[in-house]
Formats: sequence, C-alpha cells, structure tokens
Amino acid sequence: MSSAPLLEVRDLHTQFPTRDGVVNAVDGVSFQLQPHETLGIVGESGSGKSVTVLSVMRLLQPPGRITGGQVLYRGRDLTRISEPEMREIRGQEIAMIFQDPMTSLNPVYRAGWQVGEPLRLHRGLDLRRSLQEAVGMFRKVGIPEPEERVRAYPHELSGGMRQRAMIAMGLTTAPSVLIADEPTTALDVTIQAQILELLKHVRATFGTATVLITHNLGVVAGMCERVLVMYAGRVVEEGPTDEVFSSPKHPYTWSLLRSLPRLDSDERKPLRPIEGMPPDATSLPSGCAFHPRCPFAVDRCLSEAPALEPLGSGRLAACWVTQSGKDLNQAEETLG
Amino acid sequence: MIDQPVADLQLAEVERPSPRGRGKPRPYVSESWLRLRENRFGTAAGLLILALAVVAAAAPLLSGLVTHHDPTRQDLAAQFLPPGRAGYLLGADELGRDTLTRLIYGARVSLGIGFLTVAIMLTVGSLVGLSAGHYGGVVDGLLMRLVDVVLAFPAVFLYILMAMLFRPSVVTLSVIIASVAWANIARLVRGEVLTLANRDFMLATRSLGAGNARLMFRHLLPNALPVLIVAASLYVGQVILIEAALDFLGLGIQEPTASWGNMLSNSQVYFVHSAWLVVLPGLCIFVTVLATNIFGNAVRDAFDPRLRLK
Repeated sequence: MSSAPLLEVRDLHTQFPTRDGVVNAVDGVSFQLQPHETLGIVGESGSGKSVTVLSVMRLLQPPGRITGGQVLYRGRDLTRISEPEMREIRGQEIAMIFQDPMTSLNPVYRAGWQVGEPLRLHRGLDLRRSLQEAVGMFRKVGIPEPEERVRAYPHELSGGMRQRAMIAMGLTTAPSVLIADEPTTALDVTIQAQILELLKHVRATFGTATVLITHNLGVVAGMCERVLVMYAGRVVEEGPTDEVFSSPKHPYTWSLLRSLPRLDSDERKPLRPIEGMPPDATSLPSGCAFHPRCPFAVDRCLSEAPALEPLGSGRLAACWVTQSGKDLNQAEETLG
Repeated sequence: MIDQPVADLQLAEVERPSPRGRGKPRPYVSESWLRLRENRFGTAAGLLILALAVVAAAAPLLSGLVTHHDPTRQDLAAQFLPPGRAGYLLGADELGRDTLTRLIYGARVSLGIGFLTVAIMLTVGSLVGLSAGHYGGVVDGLLMRLVDVVLAFPAVFLYILMAMLFRPSVVTLSVIIASVAWANIARLVRGEVLTLANRDFMLATRSLGAGNARLMFRHLLPNALPVLIVAASLYVGQVILIEAALDFLGLGIQEPTASWGNMLSNSQVYFVHSAWLVVLPGLCIFVTVLATNIFGNAVRDAFDPRLRLK
C-alpha cells in the first residue's frame, strides 16, 4: 500500500487562539492518500475533521493557523508555497465540496456560470466555452435537461441538484484529489444515497482520489477503503474499513459502533450510548483525551497519552489497552 | 473526462422547485423589480424623479422652446412679476429673471449634485467597505478607524473651509459632500461583506482557487448590490438637502447661476410681498426629496428578503 502517496499529511498541527486559551484543533494528525483511493475521516463535531482538510487547502479562517507539520501533495509541501501557487492547486489539483449545497453556490449567478468558473480561472476558457463545458458536466453528474439547468439560479434547483452542481463544479478541471466535507449531511436520505452513488461513479470514471469527511459510519462503510477515526484533534485509529468495523482497536471507535443498531449484531445486546460529553477543546483531559468516557480505561490512560502505533495488517490505534494486546469485543464481557 | 451520461442516476430528481407567488420563479433582482413595480406610490415617485432628471438634462432646450428666457437675463421691467403673467408663467424675481427658467436650471444643480455625489460615495465607500470587510485584521482596523474619524468630523466646518478653498461648482460641491458621506456607505458595505464572508459559497469559491480581486468584485459586490441600490436611492434626497442648505448659507452654487438653494436664500427678504419666490424653490426641494425618500423606501421594501415570502 505504500507506493508514492498522492497526498500525505505529516504531524499536522493547527491552532486557534481563543480568549479561553489556545485550542489545538488539529494535534499531530498524519495520514496518506493513495491515488484512486477513498479515505474516510470520521469523528464527532469538534473532533478536527473539517479543520484538518481546511488546513490542507489552506482555507482556515483567521485566527486559525497551521503551527506545524507538512502537507505533501505529490511531494510538494503545501504549507510552504506562496498564496498564488496555492491558488493554482486549489480547484485544479485539489477540489472541495461542502456540506450545505443550499449555501455553497453564489445566489446571484446562474448554476452554469459557477460550474464553469474553475475552467475560466485555471484553463483560461472564455465564458461561452466554459458554459458549454458546464452543460457537459451537468450531464455527467446526472442533472436532467442540462441545457436548461445551466441557466437556472441556485434557488431554482433542489438540494440534491445543487449538490450535483457542486460536484460538477469540483470536477470540471479533473482534479486528482476531491475533498468532500460531509457532502450528504444536509440532504434527505434518498438524495443522500443518490449523491453517494454519484461519488462512487465519479471515482470509478475520473479516477479521483477522495477524502470523505462524515460523522455517518454507514456512509464510511459503503464508500471508503480506509478509515481514519478522529477524537479531540488526534487520529485515534486508522485501518481498512471492514477490519476497523469488525474489530475496532480503539475504545472510541468501539463505542461509536456499539451505539448504533446494525443488521448483523446480536439483537439481545442493548445499544450502548457513549457516556459523558465531548471534551472541552480548551482544557483537554490529561493523558488520553478519551479516558473520562472510556469503559476500558486503566490507570496509565490518566497520565500518559498513547501514540498512534501500528498493530499489524495496516491497522493503527492510539490506545494503551489494545496496544497491550486486548481485544475490545472480548473485553466487553467483563463490563457491567 | 467521461463521455457516457450517468443514465441510471437520473431518477427521481426531476422535481421542479415550487414557484413562489405568480408564475415562474425569478432571480432575485428581477423579482425585486416586479415587486417594485407593484408599489404604485413608489413607482410614481420614481417616475417623478425620472421626469425631473429629463427636465434637468433638457434645460437649454426647454428654456429655448418653452419659456423663451435665459436663466440669468435680467429684465427690470418684469421685477417681482407674480405668476400667471404672459411670458412669465411662474413670475419673475427681484431682477426680473424668469422663475420657471431658473427652477428648470436649478434642477440641473440639485439633481446633478445629488447623483454625482451618490456615485462618488458609492464608488469610494464600496471600495473601502469591500477591502475592510474582505481583508479584515489590520486593513479593517485602519480603514474603519479612518471611517470613524471622517464621521466624527464636523461636516459643516469642512464644507465652509472647502467652499473657501475651491470655487463651488457642481463637481467641487459633489466632491466636498461625498468626501464625508462615503464613510456611511463604507460602513454599510463592510457590514454586508462580513455577513457574506462567512457564507459557504465564499469558502467554496476560495476552494476553486479564486483570488482576492475576484472574490471581492465578482462575488461579494453583486451580493451587496441590493443594499447599495437602496442606500443610493435614499441618499440622493439627503444630498439634495445638504446642497440646498449650503446654497442657502452662501457656501454653495453662487449667483447668478440658478440653484434651488440660492433662489431660496435670495428671496427670503421678499417673502412678505412676493411669497412665490420663496415657496416655489422650497416646493421643488420638498417634492424632489420626498419623491426620492418614497422611492428609496419602495426600493428597500422590494429588495428586503424578509418581505419576500409574504
């Protein structure tokens, strides 16, 4: 699995100075994205998923800033290049689609104008040519009557159609990496399924490597080859999706999975909600940030933060319990 | 790029958005335009302003063909002629100059300064407001402190000083008034930009690789346009009032050039025996400013998104 990665994030740190202290929104995150791969990033609100990808794109809102680490795209460190160079990367090499298609399109321009914008920015196409391309892209993302729809204003399109238009906008320049930040969260369940199908189709035909951010484990299971689980700004577990789901190596992942009903689970086992609240980002717990909510915590978890260590067969986890060889599914029997 | 269409994905989504109100859904600006035209009072006020603008533009033509007078030509035989006499439809002033002709030329001054000032205000104010709101941080701090300073300045003293330094004309007066008034527009635009800056489409546009100039002028400005249109239509009236006041104080357009303000100030001493010399220019100012205010309010109502659903 380790040919030259397309995108590699190494020990990324992003901080937000606030009145209550510095928030380490991203605290030493590392991952690799291979060509044509789909990587899922899951975690609850505030776990640093979105900030991680915004850091990669260098689109952080001040006062947030990258304080350490590297973002290597084809070996080039994006944290060190100039802003004009970064603008060439954005939209051309790495494209991004956002959570809410209702607000992600500029309300004063027709959909086709916006979908053609990356081509005018990066390829020097004139308006007429870019609109022709937009019609083609609309057709490819499954928007019916594309010739008419390019002339529609965003408010004249439905949510699913707008998200398709967003995807079309991201793909017009055929980027190598597509970052999708909760692309289906704001959509109806039926439309969600259509958009996920479209993303799969896009990956198959365009060969675009995708980073899919979501808090929906079902989406990850259906879409991603590998998954990264984040908690409090750190990666706590990484591995091939089906293995992570069948035998999680971090209690947080385990808790997430045990809190959801699954078709293949033992129906007599009650669902187990995660105790407590997500930690306050300005004052994280000592040691492992998850220990106050962790049913398996041992004394060491209170004082020392575990590093993300390999556990064999492409699996990584940051947990003292599993690093000492325990299996969480078996250990569950000993819980109350 | 792929070539085959994604036929199997084109399923349920042929739904059309429900048209709001009558007929086809329309883009923001043209829907607002429709709403504006439905407001009869506002439309009438707008047409009145338009008519005044036409009169002002055609002043030489009108004086040549309709009133047959030159605005500055004196005729001592016609001194204090009351309205309604042949050749002097609205009477004549203390030097026997035709009032109607002078009012028509006065419209040039008032409307010219009104529109020119607002144009300067909008240009400068938008640039400053866009930059401050878009760049934020130090740029925002500096520009907005400048705005604070300008707005704290006692404008009347500035007008007096400037009127002494420069010979008042339509252009210099516009620049003088706009040199203070742009700060209001800058604040307005900055506020609008700040609310827009956090909208997802700005982030999405950045993620496409758009630069600052494009973000400001292609994406922020068109979204701030409704606010600017409303502000412009309300400020025209304000500026006309300020200009009339300056004329009245003798700091504006000087005799013999006719302006509503200096006509008012010249004739105030004759108010007791020739009231029309005061009433007519006063009425012109009153009607024009009232019309711009009504029109401005109508525009605001038409553009206000909170009223759109009703």
